[in-house]
Amino acid sequence: MIRCASLSLTLSHRPVLHELSWDLAAGSVWGIIGPPASGKSVLVKTLCGLFTPQRGTLHVDGVEMTRLPEPARVDVRRKMGMLFQNNALFDFLRVWENVAFPLARQDPELSREELAARAGERLRAVGLAGSEEKWPSELSGGMKKRVGIARATICNAPVLIYDEPTAGLDPVTTSKIYDLLTDLRTRHASTVIAISSDIPALRRFVENVLFLHQGRVLYRGPEAGLEACEDPVVYQFIRGLGEGPL
Amino acid sequence: MAGRVATSFGNLFAAVGAPVLALCAEVGGILTLLFRVLWCLVPPRFDLDETWRNLHKMGVKSVPIIVLTAFFTGGIMVIQAAVFVKKFGATSLVGWGAGYAVFREVGPMLLGLMFSGRVGSNNTAELGTMVVTEQIDGLRALSIDPVRYLLVPRVLSMIVMLFLLTILGDVVAILGAALFGTVLADVSLASFWVSFSQNVHVADVVHGLIKAAVFGFIVALTSCHFGITVKGGAVGVGRAVNNAVVAAALGIVLSDYLLTYALP
Ligand SMILES: Nc1ncnc2c1ncn2[C@@H]1O[C@H](COP(=O)(O)OP(=O)(O)OP(=O)(O)O)[C@@H](O)[C@H]1O
Ligand SMILES: [Mg+2]
Repeated sequence: MIRCASLSLTLSHRPVLHELSWDLAAGSVWGIIGPPASGKSVLVKTLCGLFTPQRGTLHVDGVEMTRLPEPARVDVRRKMGMLFQNNALFDFLRVWENVAFPLARQDPELSREELAARAGERLRAVGLAGSEEKWPSELSGGMKKRVGIARATICNAPVLIYDEPTAGLDPVTTSKIYDLLTDLRTRHASTVIAISSDIPALRRFVENVLFLHQGRVLYRGPEAGLEACEDPVVYQFIRGLGEGPL
Repeated sequence: MAGRVATSFGNLFAAVGAPVLALCAEVGGILTLLFRVLWCLVPPRFDLDETWRNLHKMGVKSVPIIVLTAFFTGGIMVIQAAVFVKKFGATSLVGWGAGYAVFREVGPMLLGLMFSGRVGSNNTAELGTMVVTEQIDGLRALSIDPVRYLLVPRVLSMIVMLFLLTILGDVVAILGAALFGTVLADVSLASFWVSFSQNVHVADVVHGLIKAAVFGFIVALTSCHFGITVKGGAVGVGRAVNNAVVAAALGIVLSDYLLTYALP
């Protein structure tokens, strides 16, 4: 579904991604983990064409993205739904309008009533029935996350990307959110990429893991193989040890 | 010795060069934005709803502050002149003087600066916050061009609104001048009107309104540029607002100087 080969990206004269190769089969579920500022968010933004790598290739569903001019990226982006780390809710739109926004862009024919109905349905699914008419500024952090998830998933895109879907949430809400993500995934057989610092919860959800450190891949493979990884950084990070190279 | 001289020359170049390069980068950024905005305008391709919202937010809500500024600006001109008017009995000059100065210079300039403080800074902060909270990325991820969707409506609204607000401001300032004239300089309304209507021409009004439109464009471009290029969280937003207001003020003063020469 997505294939990166030797991707290198430099931002403000600083290398952020380095010779990154990664292959995602359709329908697979990947987790990205790594220390802060290792390039996780930048990597997923690169996948939907928000950054253009200086070297390497990026194929999404067979289409090479890196040489594609901005307007031609529309079709590729349609295949992706994304939850941003900061939620990126549009503060000039009400909650339901936020959720319906991608749908309205995708299908301009839909009436306002239809959009509201679809958004309401999605908001009920994330446990936010009744918040349709609120403004994003009136929501708590956890509510914003869930609105973000509702918006990312409303188009039933084949690729779903969640950047920190559970950051700052309690364990109960976290497991509810992962249940929701699992449910959405199985219903639409989508390819999923999730970034999280809550490693135990993430590992229960994903099949495969990509470990990033300073823009380099230190581990790429099945979640179960992470324990056996010899790299000292990975070893320290997944066990949460105070001593080590980090 | 020669090495020391060379190093200090190098340091001097670095000290002068860095700010110059930074300035060039900002000016380049503003010019690039200018071309991208024009690109979306011919033929017009931008969001109408967003334009309406901005026209309302930037225009209608600025009316009170503009009216207040304009009224007292007109008044101040007469207060300053009152001493000489009384001394030389030059009451027949008050209407002309107030109209000429307000229409051509003081009106557009003061209202432009006021508009920059009220609307431009707000615009920079808003766009900057959208950058910091990834809303701009969110738009781009949905293949929406932020320039077309967010910036062009704002630029248009600011030009149109500063133009219209200056018309309103001109009228209010003249009313203020006439009122203060009767109270403080013993210039009757009738003689104010005669002096005003016989000496102030449509060209003076047009001169000022062209300036207003240009100032609106300058405020729009600087505030959008500094807003959309915010880096570094909330602190970055504060810095951007500061830079935007300074740049707009500089731009207004400089272009005023040039326009005063160039326009009839
Ligand atoms: N737009 C940008 N311009 C320049 N540098 C950037 C930009 N976005 C991110 N970076 C830099 O890229 C590096 C990786 O950032 P990124 O946001 O991907 O980290 P992350 O792995 O998601 O960290 P976290 O876990 O804290 O979210 C950082 O050093 C950051 O400063
Ligand atoms: Mg991140």
